[in-house]
Amino acid sequence: MARKMLVDGELNQTNKEGAEYDFDLFVIGAGSGGVRAARFSANYGAKVGICELPFHPISSEVIGGVGGTCVIRGCVPKKILVYGATFGGEIEDARNYGWEVNEKLDFNWKKLLQKKTDEINRLNGIYKRLLSNASVKLLEGEGKIVGPNKVEVTQPDGTKLSYSAKHILIATGSRAHRPPIPGQELAITSDEALSLDDLPKHAVVFGGGYIAVEFASIWRGLGATVDLFYRKELPLRGFDDEMRAVVARNLEGRGIKLHPQTNLTELVKTDNGIKVITDHGGELIADVVLFATGRLPNTKRLNLEAVGVEIDKTGAVKVDEYSRTNIPSIWAVGDVTNRMNLTPVALMEGTCFAKTVFGGESSKPDYRNIPCAVFSIPPLSIVGLSEEEAIEQVNGDVLVFTSTFNPMKNTVSGRQEKTIMKLVVDAETDKVLGASMCGPDAPEIMQGIAVALKCGATKAQFDSTVGIHPSAAEEFVTMRSVSRRVTARGKAKTNL
Amino acid sequence: MATTSFTAPKLSSPTFQTLCRNFPLSLPIPKTLSSFSFHLSPFLSRFHLHHHHYHPPRFHPRRLFAVRAESENGAEPIRHYDFDLFTIGAGSGGVRASRFAANFGASVAVCELPFSTISSETTGGVGGTCVLRGCVPKKLMVYASKYSHEFDESNGFGWKYDTEPKHDWSTLMANKNAELQRLTGIYKNILNKAGVTLIEGRGKIVDPHTVDVDGKLYTARNILISVGGRPFIPDIPGREYAIDSDAALDLPSKPEKVAIVGGGYIALEFAGIFNGLTSEVHVFIRQKKVLRGFDEEIRDFVGEQMALRGIQFHTEESPQAIVKSADGSLSLKTNKGTIEGFSHIMFATGRRPNTKNLGLESVGVKINKNGAIEVDEYSRTTVPSIWAVGDVTDRINLTPVALMEGAALAKTLFQNEPTKPDYRAVPSAVFSQPPIGQVGLTEEQAIKEYGDIDVYTANFRPLKATLSGLPDRVFMKLIVCAKTNKVIGLHMCGEDSAEIAQGFAVAVKAGLTKADFDATVGIHPTSAEEFVTMRSPTRKIRQSSESQGNMGHEAKTAAGV
Repeated sequence: MARKMLVDGELNQTNKEGAEYDFDLFVIGAGSGGVRAARFSANYGAKVGICELPFHPISSEVIGGVGGTCVIRGCVPKKILVYGATFGGEIEDARNYGWEVNEKLDFNWKKLLQKKTDEINRLNGIYKRLLSNASVKLLEGEGKIVGPNKVEVTQPDGTKLSYSAKHILIATGSRAHRPPIPGQELAITSDEALSLDDLPKHAVVFGGGYIAVEFASIWRGLGATVDLFYRKELPLRGFDDEMRAVVARNLEGRGIKLHPQTNLTELVKTDNGIKVITDHGGELIADVVLFATGRLPNTKRLNLEAVGVEIDKTGAVKVDEYSRTNIPSIWAVGDVTNRMNLTPVALMEGTCFAKTVFGGESSKPDYRNIPCAVFSIPPLSIVGLSEEEAIEQVNGDVLVFTSTFNPMKNTVSGRQEKTIMKLVVDAETDKVLGASMCGPDAPEIMQGIAVALKCGATKAQFDSTVGIHPSAAEEFVTMRSVSRRVTARGKAKTNL
Repeated sequence: MATTSFTAPKLSSPTFQTLCRNFPLSLPIPKTLSSFSFHLSPFLSRFHLHHHHYHPPRFHPRRLFAVRAESENGAEPIRHYDFDLFTIGAGSGGVRASRFAANFGASVAVCELPFSTISSETTGGVGGTCVLRGCVPKKLMVYASKYSHEFDESNGFGWKYDTEPKHDWSTLMANKNAELQRLTGIYKNILNKAGVTLIEGRGKIVDPHTVDVDGKLYTARNILISVGGRPFIPDIPGREYAIDSDAALDLPSKPEKVAIVGGGYIALEFAGIFNGLTSEVHVFIRQKKVLRGFDEEIRDFVGEQMALRGIQFHTEESPQAIVKSADGSLSLKTNKGTIEGFSHIMFATGRRPNTKNLGLESVGVKINKNGAIEVDEYSRTTVPSIWAVGDVTDRINLTPVALMEGAALAKTLFQNEPTKPDYRAVPSAVFSQPPIGQVGLTEEQAIKEYGDIDVYTANFRPLKATLSGLPDRVFMKLIVCAKTNKVIGLHMCGEDSAEIAQGFAVAVKAGLTKADFDATVGIHPTSAEEFVTMRSPTRKIRQSSESQGNMGHEAKTAAGV
C-alpha cells in the first residue's frame, strides 16, 4: 500500500492487518453519493476505485453514467425543463407590463432537449474530471460484490475485472418503478420524460409525488394539455396539508386538470394515441402517459445475497447510522438505502462516510431540518416539520403563523396566484419547528431559513431580523400575529 | 358615536364642539384654538390610559381620550391634548408608529400632503416614498424591465418570437399608477382601521405640543416627525433640465437615450430599468466604481455584469453643466468632455431630509449639517416631546428600518417598554440587474472591526445561464470572524439575491457560525445552496501578517476540493 494518510499529524495505517488490497475503497456507482464519498476518501489519502455503467440519458440495468440520477436523469435536466417551462407563464405576465408579444408563440422542444443534453454531457465530463483530479480510478462497467472485500466489474465489452478493497461502498441509487397494470409498457417514466423526441400534446401523469407535479408543470408550461391522476385527495403526501392544498390550487390555476383519488387501471394502444382507463370508469386519449409512482433501489444485480448484505422489503440496503451494512466492510449511501432520497443528503452521507472511514472522525449524517424543494410551477419549499408533524411531536401548544398574499409582480401582471408562507412554532420554547412556502423563488428563499432552523432559531429571532423590502422573503420575518394556536388538549389522541 | 372619518379634520360634528366647549382646559391655549374643535371622545378620563396597554390589537375606531400628567409627581397641572401622538408624515415610519400607537391604546392623528407621484413642498401622499416614489414603483419597473432579459434567456430555452417583443410605455405607466392608487387607498384604510385620524395638509410644529396643519392647530402629548427625504440635485448650470427619481418613475414616454448621474443604488436601479426597457443608458460616476460603501468585490462584480448587459459607465466623470440644444436634446458637459443627444438626464445624487419649513428651529429641534434631525437611541429629538423616525433622521434609510423605528417608538411611548431599534445586521438589497443582497459587514469593515477574518467566495455561472448562453454570473461571499467562527457578513450579486439574503439574514442576526452554515443541507439545485457548501476559504486575512500598519492580505488559495 503506497498511500498513507495523515490524520492530526499521526501516521494512520490503512492496511494494518497486513492484507494487501487493490483499493482502500471501491465504490459501486458514480452518482452524487458515490462521487462525493470517493473524492473525499481520496482527499483523506485513501486509494479509491469507482465503477459506473456507460452513459445514456435513459437508465437501465446496464446503462447509467457518471453523475448519476441527479445530473443525468434528475435534478439538473428537470430544473432545465422547469426553467424552460416557466418562461411560458413569464411571457404571459409580460403583457400587462407593457410588452407586446405575439399571441402565438413558437416553442422549439428539440432545441431545448438538445441544449439539455449538451449540458448533461458537459456535467458528465466535469464529474469525470472531478474524480480524476482527486486521483480516483474510474472504471466503466457493472459492479458486483463477490465477497466482503471483493468486487467484480463487467466492462462493456464483456471482460470481467476483479478487485479487492478494504471497504466497499454501494451507491447505485434507484430507478423509476412502473405499476403493473395492463398496458404499462405504453407508459414512460421520468427517464424517458426528460428525453422525449416531441413535446406531448396531451399528457397524462400518474402519481401525486414531487416528480409527478414537476412534470405536470413542465408540460403545461410548455403548452401541453395535462391531466394529473393521483390516489389521495391532495398531491404531495407527507408535506404540510395546507401547502398541499395550495399546490393543488396553483396547478389547477395554471391549467392542469386534476383527478384526485383516481387510479389508472389500464392503458390501451389506439390509432389516436394511448387510451387511459381509470378506476372510476373514465377514459381519455393521450399521446404520453407518465408513471411517476415511486422509485426502487438498484439492488437486484449487485449480488448482495452472495455476501449476505441485508436488504429491506423494498429492496433498499439496510444500514446503521454510519451507513454501514451488516457486513462490516460494506457500506451504502444515497437512494439505494432509501433514507431521504435527495442529492444533498447523499452528499452528506458520502461526506460522513469518508470522514468516518478515512478521516478518523466518526460522523453520523444528521437528518434533522433538511430543507427540500418541489420544482412545480410555482415551486414549494420546506424545512423542518409540517403543521401536522409538529402537532404530533410537540408536547405543548403549537403556534402557526401563515401569510397568504398576492405577490407584487402579480399586482400588475394580473396573474391570480397567491403566495403562501408558514411558520410552525413551539409555543413553549418559541423555537421555529418548521417553515414552508409555495410561491416564486421559494427554494432560493428557504435555504437561508434552513440555516436558522438548523440552529434552533426562535420566532423572536426571526422577528428581530429586519426585512428586505420589497421582497417575498421578508414576509418570513414580519409575521406578527398568530394565525392559530393548536393546544395540546385539542390534539388527536394517540392509541395509548 | 360617529365612526371616524379621516378624510378631513372632523370639524363637523356638533357633539364634538359641545364637548370641546365643556371641556375644562387647563393649559394655555393659543388664540386660534378658541374656535377650534378637538377630537374628543365623550369618555374623557384623567387616568393614565397607558395602563391599558393590554388592549386587544383589534381597535375601536374611536379611542378614549388619553390624558396624562406631565409629571408623575403631580407638581405640574394635568394637561390635555387633542392627541397622544401627532405624526407628521404618513410614510412607512409614520404609518407604522401611528398604527401601533393606536393599537396600544393611544389617540393618534397623522397628517400628510395630498397625493402626487412627484413629491414637493406641497405634495406627497399616504404611503410615502416607499409606496409612491420608491420601493414599490421601482420594483414594478424592475419587473417590467427584466422581461427583455428574460426574452433573451428564453431564446436559449427554445422560445422564439416572430417579431421582437416591443414595449409600450403608456401601458406600463397606467398599470403602475393604478397600482399606486390602490396602495395609497390601502394605506388610508389601514390607518382608518387602526382608529388613526388622518388629516390632509402640511404639518408644521408650532410649539413642543402643537402642530399647525394648514392653519388649524392640533395639540399632542407627543409629536412624531416622519417626513422622509427627497431627491437632491446639485446646483449646476442647466439643472432645471434634469430629472430626479420621482420624475423618472413617472415619465410620459420612454427615454430614448438617458444619462444617469450617480453611482449609488438608485442610479444603478434606474440604469437597469431603462436599459431593460430598451433605452440607451449612460451612467456617470464620480469614482472609479459604483456603490460606494458596499463590499469591494460586489462593487466590481455588479459593474461588470451591468456593463455586459449594455450599460455604458463613465467613471470618474462629474457633470458640470446641462445644455439644451435647439432640437430639444440635452448635452451633458463633464470634466472630461461633452456628451450629446440625451433625451433625459437623471440625477441620482443623493437625497436630503425634508426638514425645511417644519418649524424646527423655532421649537429648538436640532438638525445636523445635512438637515437630518438629530435623535437619541429612542428616536427622541432635542425637544423631549418631539420624536423622529425614518429617512428624516438619516440613520439607515430603508423602509424596514423606518418600520422598526416606528414600532420601537410606539412601544416606548405607549407600552411602557422603552425600545431601541437594533441596527445590527440589517439586510438590504439593490434591485439592479442583476440584483444584490447583503447583510452584515463588508470585507473592508470586517477587517477593520475584527482583524482576523476568513473570506469564502464563489463566482459561478448559474444553470440558467449555461442554457441561455448569456454571460450572466453569480457572485457570493461569506465573511467569517476567524476567532469566533461567526458569519459576520454575507453578500451576493446575481439572480434572486434579494430573496436569498433574507433567510440568511435571520442566521447572521442570530449570530450563527460558519459551522452552522456547513451543517445545513443544501436545497438542490438552487443558487442559494452555494452559501451552505463553501468548504474552503478563498483567503484568510490575519493582522499578524500585516507589516507596519499596512493591511496585509494573506491570500491562501483553496486546497483542492
